[in-house]
Amino acid sequence: MKQIYGVMAEFEHSEQIIEATRRVYEAGYRSMDVYTPFPMHEIFHELHEHRTWVSPITMVGGLTGLVGGFMLQTWTTVIDYPLNIGGRPLFSWPSFIPITFECMVLLAAFSALIGMIALNGLPQPYHPVFNVPGFERSSQDRFFLCVESTDPKFDAAETARFLGSLGAQRVVEVEA
Amino acid sequence: MQAGNVAKLNEQLQSDPVLAPGHTYGSIEEKINTIPLPLTKRASKGWVLGFSIAFALLMLLFYSLGVLFARGLGVWGINNPVYWGFAIINFVWWIGIGHAGTLISAILLLMQQNWRNSINRLAEAMTLFAVACAGLMPIVHMGRPWLFYWLVPYPNTMAMWPQFRSPLAWDVFAVSTYATVSLLFWLIGLVPDFAKMRDRATDRTTKILFNILSLGWRNSSRHWHRYEMAYLLLAGLSTPLVLSVHSIISLDFSVSIVPGWHMTLFPPYFVAGAVFAGFAMVLTLVIPIRKFYKLEDFVTMKHIENCCKVMLATGMIVFYGYMMELFFGWYSAHDVEFFLINNRFFGPYAWAFWALMLCNGVAPQLMWFKPLRRNLPLVWILSLVVGVGMWLERFVIVVMSLHRDYLPTSWDAYTPTFWDISLYVGTFGLFFSLMFLFIRFLPMINIFEMQLLRHDQKHQVEGGFGASEEA
Amino acid sequence: MMKKQHKEQPSDVVSQLKRVQIPAIIVGVAGLGVWFLGAGSGTREQFFQTYLFAFLFWVGLPLGGLALLMLQYLTGGKWGFLIRRMLEAAAMTLPLMVLLFIPIITIGMLDLYPWADPAVVAHDTHLQFKYAYLNPGSFVFRAGFYFLIWLVWTFFLVKWGADQDRSGKPAITHRFRNLSGVGIVLYVITMTFAAFDWGMSLEPLWFSAIYGVIFIIGQGLATFAFIILMARLLADRKPFADFVSTKLYHDLGNLLLAFAILWTYMSLSQFLIIWSGNLPPETPWYIRRQAAGWNEVAVAVLVFQFVLPFFLLLNRFVKQKIQLLWKVALLIFIMRFVDLFWIIMPAFDQTVLEVHWTTYVAPIGVGGVWLFVFLEILKRRPILPLRDPIVPFPVSEGTKMQEVPGHG
Repeated sequence: MKQIYGVMAEFEHSEQIIEATRRVYEAGYRSMDVYTPFPMHEIFHELHEHRTWVSPITMVGGLTGLVGGFMLQTWTTVIDYPLNIGGRPLFSWPSFIPITFECMVLLAAFSALIGMIALNGLPQPYHPVFNVPGFERSSQDRFFLCVESTDPKFDAAETARFLGSLGAQRVVEVEA
Repeated sequence: MQAGNVAKLNEQLQSDPVLAPGHTYGSIEEKINTIPLPLTKRASKGWVLGFSIAFALLMLLFYSLGVLFARGLGVWGINNPVYWGFAIINFVWWIGIGHAGTLISAILLLMQQNWRNSINRLAEAMTLFAVACAGLMPIVHMGRPWLFYWLVPYPNTMAMWPQFRSPLAWDVFAVSTYATVSLLFWLIGLVPDFAKMRDRATDRTTKILFNILSLGWRNSSRHWHRYEMAYLLLAGLSTPLVLSVHSIISLDFSVSIVPGWHMTLFPPYFVAGAVFAGFAMVLTLVIPIRKFYKLEDFVTMKHIENCCKVMLATGMIVFYGYMMELFFGWYSAHDVEFFLINNRFFGPYAWAFWALMLCNGVAPQLMWFKPLRRNLPLVWILSLVVGVGMWLERFVIVVMSLHRDYLPTSWDAYTPTFWDISLYVGTFGLFFSLMFLFIRFLPMINIFEMQLLRHDQKHQVEGGFGASEEA
Repeated sequence: MMKKQHKEQPSDVVSQLKRVQIPAIIVGVAGLGVWFLGAGSGTREQFFQTYLFAFLFWVGLPLGGLALLMLQYLTGGKWGFLIRRMLEAAAMTLPLMVLLFIPIITIGMLDLYPWADPAVVAHDTHLQFKYAYLNPGSFVFRAGFYFLIWLVWTFFLVKWGADQDRSGKPAITHRFRNLSGVGIVLYVITMTFAAFDWGMSLEPLWFSAIYGVIFIIGQGLATFAFIILMARLLADRKPFADFVSTKLYHDLGNLLLAFAILWTYMSLSQFLIIWSGNLPPETPWYIRRQAAGWNEVAVAVLVFQFVLPFFLLLNRFVKQKIQLLWKVALLIFIMRFVDLFWIIMPAFDQTVLEVHWTTYVAPIGVGGVWLFVFLEILKRRPILPLRDPIVPFPVSEGTKMQEVPGHG
């Protein structure tokens, strides 16, 4: 038997895809994904995607930058190379604030970005869903829902029939 | 709340839509994407002409830099009291212009102002190119620019560290962080649109190119979810960042005790000035572009008007700063500070001060009136006037304070040379060359956000009471 | 049904307001009485110093209310609709503040402001130089001018608000924007100089150009904190309860956070610039405020007005639950007192932190009376604007807010 990645349904309207996602989730499918031209909060809600790890990762990055930036300045000016400049104290903490802040923002921004890319498993130039003919329109004006074969409830024929009953324009098998 | 009600309400309140009616998800994508695609198509005559001019100016920049490196800082007009001349003025001016981009993309996102969606990509690109022009200035001002990396803290054979108590070291961190985060923000915004270009492209090379650039983005909702969160976090980080950058630049001046520089109001006053100049630059760019590429549906009169309002508001804050400078010049009861005020009014550079008052104080007051805010030629001219005004502001601050300091024996006049001016003009070449390339090869409006805007309009999440929750 | 109820004042809100009003006036009168009777125990200067501190704190709420009222008309934020009547009521207490200002300019001025004393001015060339600005006559004249501007703007904003309640004309919204645009400019200018006059000139040789802005932001912060406390009070009372949602709390929480950040930004700017410049005319201000005990106050203000609320308010969970949000707001509101105390009181030649007991009763007394008047005004009018065109239905019909699905 030929290996398949899943079954994909194409929808024309945004209302349909929201409804379809709810129905598919209610039917007990969990290994599924929805492909839309733009982010849709309604879909996140139906997919029960609520919390992400992106914010905690960013928080950790930011705090690392905050502490690291301050320690860097304190260590170099107070311990490693103490130098009297303009009669100011060695530990001139007020003048360390700007760089500390910049380090925090820099590390937090990188953490947010790299965290998001890593959690999404990108870059991934090839993916089975690209094999679906007409999938380009997920960038334009069509909405796709794919139930993946890894789902315990998955059954190629049965799932395809179920998706078809939700008002899909067409239902296709996605080659692995 | 029904769609009809919103339209009626908008009519009653006489406000324009942020996206003209009649667009579908597909038509938005097609309209925006077919401006750069296919990549190999012939550029329009107007584009070629514009790019040629910009490119010629870029060559002037390279030539000016060559002269500067070969013969040293002496080719400029800077002298003993006026160590800081055009380079610092241009630095502050360019980086200020960049700030509007971040403001539009980040702060307005946090404030859920959806009118930002159609101009944020362009504004962010403007930020990047302006920061590139700005970053060049302090580096070439260093005398030995090839040693600029000494400003970065790294263990070295000299066993020395940067002087962290100096605002010039703060600048290095602020500007480099700002450039990096702005680039990340811009690129991350482009990822889904790169995927859209890949999907729109018909030839294999373009498809492969944009598939690489888009990291293989496949419009998955699970990805969108994390993406939105990351985008929002970057916006949240960029907002204080943009405030900090211009504040730190203002600290270059204000932590010193040079008369006219040592003023506690400088940080917010500089930030407002930056936003003021930046929005002026946005208008300078957007008004011709929307006309030329027929983008009136996406960049509506509402955008123009809102930009004008922001300009008016920030212009008033800047003017407040001028008032405070004058008041405290007197109230400080400090003879040198008072003398500076005298110099502003009647000194050798008084013309710059009065021109500044005209450009930044008087001219923006026209924006109080709605018919004038909707008069595109007038708004465009005004945006240029404000750009000039903000340059003059930095000239007044830098040159006027330095040329007559505490010690009358070291007073000297400052006159820019040809190479000062050519370098400044040359940076426009860099800025506009990059801008033309960007417009030609990338989608200049954020497609997925416009589609989202369309979606929200359709479902009346936007505009309705209680309205759209943030992401 | 709802309509009728509304016209005769929604009893639910009113009963809740009354519950607070009675204790407020009791505490207020008692506080002022004790402060007045206790005046004999301290010096005459202390008596007025604590009064000035109390006045400067409480005048921040009507002025913050006026400023935010204009700001919400200009930005058109949806949060503005729900708190508009509260902001109006706060601004409408301004006549009371005029009354309370009279003791400062009549009997108190000599005890408070060094420049008002001709004997001091005679020996100080700087004060002679500044005499054109800092003299009793122009001080009173300017104060009158500030109050006049604020009262005129309050009058029209409130009047037109009532007009719109009756007619629901969208054109009025336009007029609001124009009036608010001019008004906010005038407010910022007048408030800046009011801060210079009333606060900064206590130390007449010292100056800081950002002082006025710090005052303005501080007022905004205190007002938002106060509004959140009011929202907590009315959260489950009709008709207010029908309109509030997590969205309102989220917005208010974000605005509170934004103002707390701005306050820190402005204060830090002033500190960093003066610290780095290290000039004799400027640093004494901070030296006095770092004296024994005062330094700890400064740290406490930074931690409890910024650091702690910052981390709490980053959390969406806190922002969307009024049961949690009001606690943060209360913390900030209290720290506004402490912050202003730290800014004002060291001006009076204190070498170490000294808290005279009248320092507590004067603000409580003034505050009690203020709160009573505020609640009285608030309860006499509908708690929400009735026919604002940004709301798609007249409020009096009591339509329930629809929740936006899928968010939260």
